Amino acid sequence: MQTAMLAFRNLSRQKRRSFLLGGAIAFGIMIVTLIDGFAGAFVDNVSENFSNLLAGHVFVEGVEKSPKGRDLEIIRDDAALREAAEAAGIEAKYVSRRSGLQGSLKFAGRTATLAVQGVDFEAETFLAERLALASGSLDDLPRDGIVLPEPIADKLGVEIGDRLLVTTRTYSGQQNVGEFAVAAVIKDPGILGSVSAYAGRDYVNELLDLAPDEYQALSFYLPSLKGMDEAGDRLHAEVSSRLQAFERKAPGAEGGNPVLAMMRGEDEETWTGVKYRVTTLNDALAQVQQIVDVLDVASLVILLVLFLIIMVGITNTFRIIMYERIREIGTMRAVGMQRGQVRGLFLYEALFLALGGAVAGLAVASLVMLGVGLIDFGLDSPLFLILRNGHMSFRLDWARVAGKVAIVAFLTLAAAFFPARSAAKLDPAVALRTAV
Amino acid sequence: MSIIELSEVRKTYPLGKTEVQAVKGVSFRIERGDFISIAGPSGSGKTTILNMIGLVDRPSGGEVLIEGKPTSKLGDRELTTLRHETLGFIFQSFNLIPVLNVRENVEFPLLLGAKRQPRKEAAEWVDFLIEEVGLSDWKGHRSNELSGGQRQRVAIARALVTKPKIVLADEPTANLDSATGEQIIELMKKINRDLETTFIFSTHDAKIVDIADHVVRLRDGLVTENFRRERAGAEA
Repeated sequence: MQTAMLAFRNLSRQKRRSFLLGGAIAFGIMIVTLIDGFAGAFVDNVSENFSNLLAGHVFVEGVEKSPKGRDLEIIRDDAALREAAEAAGIEAKYVSRRSGLQGSLKFAGRTATLAVQGVDFEAETFLAERLALASGSLDDLPRDGIVLPEPIADKLGVEIGDRLLVTTRTYSGQQNVGEFAVAAVIKDPGILGSVSAYAGRDYVNELLDLAPDEYQALSFYLPSLKGMDEAGDRLHAEVSSRLQAFERKAPGAEGGNPVLAMMRGEDEETWTGVKYRVTTLNDALAQVQQIVDVLDVASLVILLVLFLIIMVGITNTFRIIMYERIREIGTMRAVGMQRGQVRGLFLYEALFLALGGAVAGLAVASLVMLGVGLIDFGLDSPLFLILRNGHMSFRLDWARVAGKVAIVAFLTLAAAFFPARSAAKLDPAVALRTAV
Repeated sequence: MSIIELSEVRKTYPLGKTEVQAVKGVSFRIERGDFISIAGPSGSGKTTILNMIGLVDRPSGGEVLIEGKPTSKLGDRELTTLRHETLGFIFQSFNLIPVLNVRENVEFPLLLGAKRQPRKEAAEWVDFLIEEVGLSDWKGHRSNELSGGQRQRVAIARALVTKPKIVLADEPTANLDSATGEQIIELMKKINRDLETTFIFSTHDAKIVDIADHVVRLRDGLVTENFRRERAGAEA
């Protein structure tokens, strides 16, 4: 206890030196904490934003083969899928049934190509809450009404009530032409949202040559991101027992994108009727996790590189400290301090330095995260996918933080160990007669 | 049995490619309760002998016996324990620990050993020693707030705190003015009488040598004189 107290007080001897060493440790901890905080929120934010864009966390899509062997997207078994979802115990906040076309919109000689989502506005009440209207209204939407993102409306030069020509293909690949009436314009929702428009599903189905009770994608928006894979597994089991379904994770999915792997498998396979694919947002965002894994490794590498540099400083400083206090070490050895206690004195000092630096680094990182989190980047920011409601957010895994602090403490102790050992091995007589 | 016995003790230091013989075969005995001065000019080997008696330095040859026990074969741990339990040190430059206050400096050696005194008893003993050296009003002060004489008083109290049988003082008055030096020697003499602690101090100050009841004079690493006073004038 006396050794620890003495070590703690020794830190105050050369305040400037302790401040610089502790500051270097604090800087290292701050950097890795910021990276960890960013990486921690990265998956959540990207998943959250994608789940909004894709309107769900668990998806069912139907695929049938055309006579020419092309994959056609269609869901014809809504009743069976409803039963499967109920049997799987999927408790969704929202369920959406959508169709989608890719088309060229033309107005007054101008053209814009974009995806049009066919939605049931009455069922998808949450969509109305999420879309920020710039003009027009979602109430009493005409059957051929379309909701355009602001950049597309500007590009086409349309206003509310204008009628647009659309050229597209039916679900089976036949060319088709129709008209949309501009019902509303929404504020620029960012990169992906800005190339998607919304229209009534009945009219989109008509353009796609689908029956009114058919559609292309069934999505379940769960109350939270947690448990989506388990929900996907349960739903897949229930769908498989009622209908034809692809394997949940196609071979070759490990290390890549499971959805793409599944789709590659479909190209090589033949079947009759509709076969269903059950996927989750995590499957679609498998590569996002890979980015996070890279960030995790980068954080550890930065920590190690920074601390290798800091360790050199710590070792040199503790060598200087040893020479500065050489007579004091001699005195302490003379009055009965064992070698281990001398070593402990130095190591305690290093440990306090590491812990003090770590606490300071965490405090500064917390302030930085708080400050950055207050900046409003806007919903139309190019960074929107990694933002939460336009703000940068951070999430720290405290076990991981504790692990990093432990690594820092270990490295600091390792750096101080050799000077501490040299101090402990000093011959007391030599130490006492050394002039400092 | 003598409390300390030096038998043909030699000490050689390497100096570049040659060797310097600082002590060239010294033998003498110190009795329990002695107030002994090891006197001699600079370079005569006083500090080297004191360091070997104090077990902070090992002889190159010969033997130092503490209470009849040979010390040359002891390992560092045993020597440190023996120093802690048997010896107290007073240094020329006081050697107080600057981050500790007076009380903590005095108490410091008590907290190093494996055997611990009951806390209350230890606290009372520390306070008694601080009072004995006249620093009761300075307990909370750090060494940089004290005069040289006060610092040496703290060092004396620290040397006595483990109730050692022997206190070694290397030129304890060298960094003090003569009046303060005399006070310090008087204090050591008083403790020597009151607690029957053996005091061994090195000095080249003739006035201080006169106060000692046993004098060992050195020159060039050899004993030139070894005599006692007040003990029937017997030669040691």
